[in-house]
Amino acid sequence: MTITKPLLAALLCGFALSVGLNTRGAAAADAPAPPSQGTAYTDNGADTCLMCHAAWPYPILPIFKTKHGQRDDPRSPFARSPGTPFAGLQCETCHGPGAKHAGSGDKNAINSHKPTSFLPPEERSKVCLGCHENNARTGWHASTHENNGIACTDCHRLHVERDPVRATASQPQVCYKCHRKTRAEYNLPSVHPVRAGTISCSDCHSPHGSTSDGMLVKPTVNQTCFTCHAEKRGPFLWEHAPAAENCTICHHPHGSVYHARLKKNPPLLCQQCHTVSGHPAVARTPAGLPGGSAGASGFLLAGGCINCHSQVHGSNHPSGVKLMR
Amino acid sequence: MKTSNQLLLLGMLSALPVTVPVADAARPDTSKWECKSCPVEQGWSGSVDVGAGNVSDKSAAFGEYNGLFRNGGFLVGDGAMQFRGPDAYYWNIYASDLGLDTRKLNAEGGRQGRYKLLLGYEQFAHRISDTSMTPFLGVGGASLTLPPGFPGATTAAMPLAASLQRMEINQDRKRSMIGASWMPANNWEYSFNYRHETRDATKRIAGSFFVYAARLIEPVEYHTDQMDIAASYTGGRLQAKLAYSVARFRNDNDALTWQNPFAVPAAPGALSGQLALAPDNQFHQVLASAGYQFSERTRVSADIAWGRMTQNQAFPASTLNAGLAVPALPASSLDGRADTLDANLKLTSALTQRLRLSAIFVHNERDNQTPRNSYPSVSTDMFLGIPRTNLPYSFTDDKLKLSADYRLTARTKLAAGYDQDRRKRTLQEVGTTDEDTVWGKISTRFTDKVDMTLKLAHGERKGSNYEPVPGGVRPPENPLLRKYYMANRDRDSAGLRIDFAATDAINVGFGAESSKDDYSDSAIGLTSGRDRSLNADVTWIVTEQTSLHLFANREEIKSTQRGSQAFSIPDWTGENKDTIDTVGIGVKHAAIKDKLDIGADYMVSRAKRDIKVETGAANPAFPTVSASVDSLKLYADYRLKDNVSLVGSYWYEDFDSSNWMLEGVAAGTIPNVLTFGEQTPRYRVNVVRFAVRYRF
Repeated sequence: MTITKPLLAALLCGFALSVGLNTRGAAAADAPAPPSQGTAYTDNGADTCLMCHAAWPYPILPIFKTKHGQRDDPRSPFARSPGTPFAGLQCETCHGPGAKHAGSGDKNAINSHKPTSFLPPEERSKVCLGCHENNARTGWHASTHENNGIACTDCHRLHVERDPVRATASQPQVCYKCHRKTRAEYNLPSVHPVRAGTISCSDCHSPHGSTSDGMLVKPTVNQTCFTCHAEKRGPFLWEHAPAAENCTICHHPHGSVYHARLKKNPPLLCQQCHTVSGHPAVARTPAGLPGGSAGASGFLLAGGCINCHSQVHGSNHPSGVKLMR
Repeated sequence: MKTSNQLLLLGMLSALPVTVPVADAARPDTSKWECKSCPVEQGWSGSVDVGAGNVSDKSAAFGEYNGLFRNGGFLVGDGAMQFRGPDAYYWNIYASDLGLDTRKLNAEGGRQGRYKLLLGYEQFAHRISDTSMTPFLGVGGASLTLPPGFPGATTAAMPLAASLQRMEINQDRKRSMIGASWMPANNWEYSFNYRHETRDATKRIAGSFFVYAARLIEPVEYHTDQMDIAASYTGGRLQAKLAYSVARFRNDNDALTWQNPFAVPAAPGALSGQLALAPDNQFHQVLASAGYQFSERTRVSADIAWGRMTQNQAFPASTLNAGLAVPALPASSLDGRADTLDANLKLTSALTQRLRLSAIFVHNERDNQTPRNSYPSVSTDMFLGIPRTNLPYSFTDDKLKLSADYRLTARTKLAAGYDQDRRKRTLQEVGTTDEDTVWGKISTRFTDKVDMTLKLAHGERKGSNYEPVPGGVRPPENPLLRKYYMANRDRDSAGLRIDFAATDAINVGFGAESSKDDYSDSAIGLTSGRDRSLNADVTWIVTEQTSLHLFANREEIKSTQRGSQAFSIPDWTGENKDTIDTVGIGVKHAAIKDKLDIGADYMVSRAKRDIKVETGAANPAFPTVSASVDSLKLYADYRLKDNVSLVGSYWYEDFDSSNWMLEGVAAGTIPNVLTFGEQTPRYRVNVVRFAVRYRF
């Protein structure tokens, strides 16, 4: 189950072939007229749409319990007295001019906002950004999600009373649709409490765009971690350089096999950087396990290095230079 | 590339030609759009769940975060309510797990489009361990003492059988939140948010006297206040925000004192020790951000944030050993200060319908202004050491990311990019590292039913000279060591994703990722790393009443490091390999249409960590560190009446783990370390819940 170079080469060849075929096909085919929505609006707005869609298998009426369905907000799609260019067009505020669709029933004559829509993701998101490109969404353009062809409605559901991606307990399931490896990581024994529904992905990540690594809510990894772990902010008298720089040098942010989401068990974790002559340089083998030939070793068992150097996040003790006070 | 050059490049890109926005469809006359069929309701609506449940067994591991750590009954209290009134007045209220120690109650209300109020209370129960034991008295306080019979020369000489007491290690967070926002005009919004959090109870720590150590319990009485105020503007082309935030952390305990359980003849005055606990600190930050849409195709956005972290907690005494004459400290507190500057500038422009370019420049800086002083040093309250000077680390990270994506055909999109990352560090072995990464990505729709994306990347990181830090670690590190986060490194990564719509009802997703790190210039330290994963997802709408979801994931993370016992060339190797397998299936079924919905989720996770340390001698292998989870959830919703349902669920979870760092390690197993005798977690727990759901 390893990914070998030949496999990668084969995949690249396959892609190249696909590109070639697609390119040639596009040039040679008698291209039918591309789907288009038309520019004419319906005669009666939502009353036209609901003639068919009120009893639709996918329930749409709960939108009237949401902010989008508020009739007394001049910014809302259903505003009685529209106060913005996009407001008050009812269903067609988001789905676009619907006369062609209403007349033909052609699903490609309306912006369904579904991934199967004839419209590319950027066109689907453009509708939403017309009203919502503010505050946290100023960085959406060229963000990781936008670059990967994600549209707003790939994550958000607007016709339900409560959008699952905006509720702490249900949000991770939405994210796992694409972030499959992360779902597995959150089933490991040492995790942040996402599986328990206590926090959600957006407590740390900014899905609408961020220039930090991992699309974090704060500019850096540590500033993000300090929103919950403020006691580790310092600055300390004696700093542990990697802890001051980036928590993920030692910790896995999602989950780990070992305690405290550490990437490795001590002492190996610490011995990647600490090689001073004496005990840090000594290879700790199973001889130090209980009943082993060297006897139970404090360098290996319980907390390992942490048994003595317990202040790994920094110390404010005048004698804490070795992070032991 | 210097920062000025990067900015120049961004400026040149911003000068690229732009296109005129496409005119939108003409706005229709909506005066007759009466929305007569719109079921707009006013008043309260929602649902409330009230009931009871039972947990079969007590387990801190099972209830680590979910509040179900006790055995026995509990109350079920969940709800979602909303109010819609005239003139856009509204409330949304959500409550969950009110009957547990992990509970949430959040409310948002106001007048939509005018102002908004936020209120919240959240409680998080974190259970850390319920198998730990200690002979110390005063657990949870700032002073740990020992019963008669201590100290002992070794743990075997301590009266542990008579003095060990079982204890629970846990933390409880309680958060209260209040916020408001006000929109006096269409384009402006002002907001205020305040959060107060307390953290109570305990956590693990340890203290030592030379080579004699004891695992201790640290009292946790933390208070954190976080306040944010902001003003934001959203115009036609311009969005801007100015914000200020302050976070203040307070710890009710400055230090933890513990009585030395070991008799240390070489230092008869080392009777007790003191650990400094997390000092009070503050963080202030001013942030400004803006986005501007030059045209439909060209956009620029930028953020800048200035911050300052401060810490000036009084130092504890250098030692509690009255027999040591310690010189005076250079100051009574640190006067610690680190300034942060975080900025980014992003420009994206669609040059043509097919080609889009983007450029991002990011600057992150932590400028540690903490005074450097020489501090007299006492080694673990036993011996006077040589004075040491503190090392306030500063970091600067500049990133430039350039990318282009090109829609080759209607079905195929190509993308490529170049990322440059320059990091500067003070008082560390490497002053500057430069990492250059190139990547390419192709996304294509093979057929109407198959989408594929492949991304490949190659990165190289080179550092300036690796040199010992003057006044740094004493004694010095092995000169062949290269700390991995600063070491020269080649990184190759690949990611493949395939989504296949087998039928209208069946979707299959497949993904593979691989990343390989090579630290070929590192003789000592981490030398290589590899992370590979495969995953698959299947969703199947079996019938109109039944849907199925399956997922599977396998991940392998492997790394190799080298060390030198002789403080010379490498003479031992350590290998770490994590293997994580996860499989799950979920089914939802409308057993009786509009009457009974049932469902089930079953998940199996197997994770293991294999560690090998090779010294050339015949060593046995370390036992595997492992964890396995089998989790089954069944749930049902039976509608008694239009507005009343019975909801029930059953959750069975079986967890097993092994970890040689804890197994067979009783409190006195290690002669010179008094441990908690903590056991690896294992549990088998059943949880049932029944509730009446009332909809209104």
